Amino acid sequence: MNARLLVVEPFEERPAAASTAEALRLLGPAVALELHHEAPVAAAALRARHSDLVVLDHRLGDDLWSLLCRAREGATPALVIGEAGDEAHALRAFRAGATGYVERGPAFAENLSTAAREQLQWVQRIRGSIPSFVEEKNAGTLDRYSRNIIENMNSALLVINREGAISYANPTAERALGVGDGELEGRDLRDWFPGAEAEEILPLRTVKEGTRFRGVETVLTRADGTLIPTGISCAPLVDAEGVGEGAVAIFQDLVEIKQLQRQVLQTEKMASIGQLAAGVAHEINNPMGFIHANLSQLTEYLDDLQKVWAQVEGLRGAADRDPADAQQVREAARALGATIQAVDAGFLMRDFGTAIRESLEGSERIRAIVTDLRAFSHQDTAERALCDINRALDSTANIVWTMMKHSVVLTKQYEELAPMVGFPMQLKQVFMNLLVNAYQAIEERAAREELRGEIRLRTELQGEEVLITVTDNGVGMPKETLDRIFDPFFTTKEVGVGTGLGLSTSFNLIKNHGGTLRAQSEVGRGTSFEVRLPLGDPDELL
Amino acid sequence: MSETLPVVLLVDDEKHILSALSRCLRREGYEILSVGSAAEALRVLGERPVDLIVSDQKMPGTHGIAFLTEVERGGSRVPRVLLTGWPEEIPQAEIERAGITALLPKPWDDAELKSTLRSCLTG
Ligand SMILES: Nc1ncnc2c1ncn2[C@@H]1O[C@H](COP(=O)(O)OP(=O)(O)OP(=O)(O)O)[C@@H](O)[C@H]1O
Ligand SMILES: [Mg+2]
Repeated sequence: MNARLLVVEPFEERPAAASTAEALRLLGPAVALELHHEAPVAAAALRARHSDLVVLDHRLGDDLWSLLCRAREGATPALVIGEAGDEAHALRAFRAGATGYVERGPAFAENLSTAAREQLQWVQRIRGSIPSFVEEKNAGTLDRYSRNIIENMNSALLVINREGAISYANPTAERALGVGDGELEGRDLRDWFPGAEAEEILPLRTVKEGTRFRGVETVLTRADGTLIPTGISCAPLVDAEGVGEGAVAIFQDLVEIKQLQRQVLQTEKMASIGQLAAGVAHEINNPMGFIHANLSQLTEYLDDLQKVWAQVEGLRGAADRDPADAQQVREAARALGATIQAVDAGFLMRDFGTAIRESLEGSERIRAIVTDLRAFSHQDTAERALCDINRALDSTANIVWTMMKHSVVLTKQYEELAPMVGFPMQLKQVFMNLLVNAYQAIEERAAREELRGEIRLRTELQGEEVLITVTDNGVGMPKETLDRIFDPFFTTKEVGVGTGLGLSTSFNLIKNHGGTLRAQSEVGRGTSFEVRLPLGDPDELL
Repeated sequence: MSETLPVVLLVDDEKHILSALSRCLRREGYEILSVGSAAEALRVLGERPVDLIVSDQKMPGTHGIAFLTEVERGGSRVPRVLLTGWPEEIPQAEIERAGITALLPKPWDDAELKSTLRSCLTG
């Protein structure tokens, strides 16, 4: 296997990473290794000459992402080495275009060399640089070496002949589709895409038109009828004269990745809810503080006033006695006067009322927050429903505003809208992300200069679309930031403040609604986010 | 007589908190000054001596910690108490930098408030 391999890892005095190069040497002398420690040099090398595979170490930090980008631009497969168990990192790497991921840990060297070998094998097969082996139907021509790799690789591999029948399937493909040994051979590929038009079956298009596909999401149907989401890549098979002989397709089960994606969504939701809860807790804590203090003071006031009352009772007792003893009455009246003075009853009576009024005002504030919370959590089935966008936006804004009312003026301009078909909970999550970002941008600017923070909300109906704009006068963003805000995990905020998932999640949620999310920004002036959502057809809900 | 009473400066942006604090300290024999922001508090401190500062943490503009740190930088030795709903969120280093004598939770316990202030003044 002749191949060029580019390895990039940060330089280390005592390289634990020597193991990386060593592991890759297991691939044999025919694989040329080029080792780099500097990202810019590696990027230049990637551009300058052809590599069959690039291997990137996670310790490159941010350079990892830019190198992945480079690799993707050059259509070079990229294998990322990561820390064991860091699923978020793995997912991020896949999203950024990694074609494989190997974790450090036990059997690292073996895993790495196997993964690299698979990737190279895959590349070379797709590029057609090794004579195609299966069309001969004679496994004898397949040398043991490549056969071993193909049978053991983690991706499913299918070879399809000119008629659209499967002429070879590796064991991973058989497992993925839920059939026994050798049962796929000779079967029509269409069997695995029931109900699909020939047009939609990518490998058939490759057979017919010679089109290549790389990592396209496609749903396959297993033998037992269950559906599996897969990422599929297809390349035409050609003979020595360049005549089309069929296609080779490689696919990967995406179920696990989908599960990871769902977890990320959940994490993001928890993060926003956490922020919201902290803001609300804060706003409730102040009134709670003085209501609590006032109640315990009022208990003391009451004790003192009860002392006065006891003297009043005494005085009445003396006055009611028959015949009245003037001396005793005077005595009781003097005692009453002394107590009134000692406890400062005049003040107590006045302040009793004040303390109650202030406490009532506090409880009214708490009540208003609870009402906002209730409106915010209302109507929220996770199901598709008819949404009142103004109400969803307004209830979210009110609750988020609780935590920012000290520093931000909120202006609302809502136009009457038709009800829209969507997932109200998800839309609120998007609005919440936009509002929290706007607030944080204002805080950041306010830390540097005198600022009257302002967030403007606007909704309008434009034909069959609803347009929602959230505009702030916060710090704004330079173009480099603006270009990356929708990338998962991209954040300019401190650790613990931002996870960098808010906008990428929002982007996906809006996309799932068939809408768009866009941003405009100017450094030092502010930012405006624009959400466009199609109204959809209410009849769909029936 | 009133000149000899210890002067306590209360700082909180929430005026009902100020009034609840004064209510609680009513019988403690202090002269109480209440202000609504760090800026106002600094102005008062420039005008007259005080014996104790009790400040809220979360206020618009300058937060309690920043305000008390500024007091510390000015070379003041006045004991100071920080009132906060989330005492555990304030790093020890910042507490030291601001020369804070005691932290009090919000909502506070009346008896704890009184005893903390007393020990700040005698200690
Ligand atoms: N309104 C805004 N003004 C200025 N910058 C913004 C604004 N909204 C987003 N950004 C920039 O986009 C980045 C990504 O935003 P995103 O919401 O995805 O993540 P985050 O806010 O950093 O973290 P999280 O939302 O997960 O808490 C932010 O770190 C910030 O740099
Ligand atoms: Mg955010």
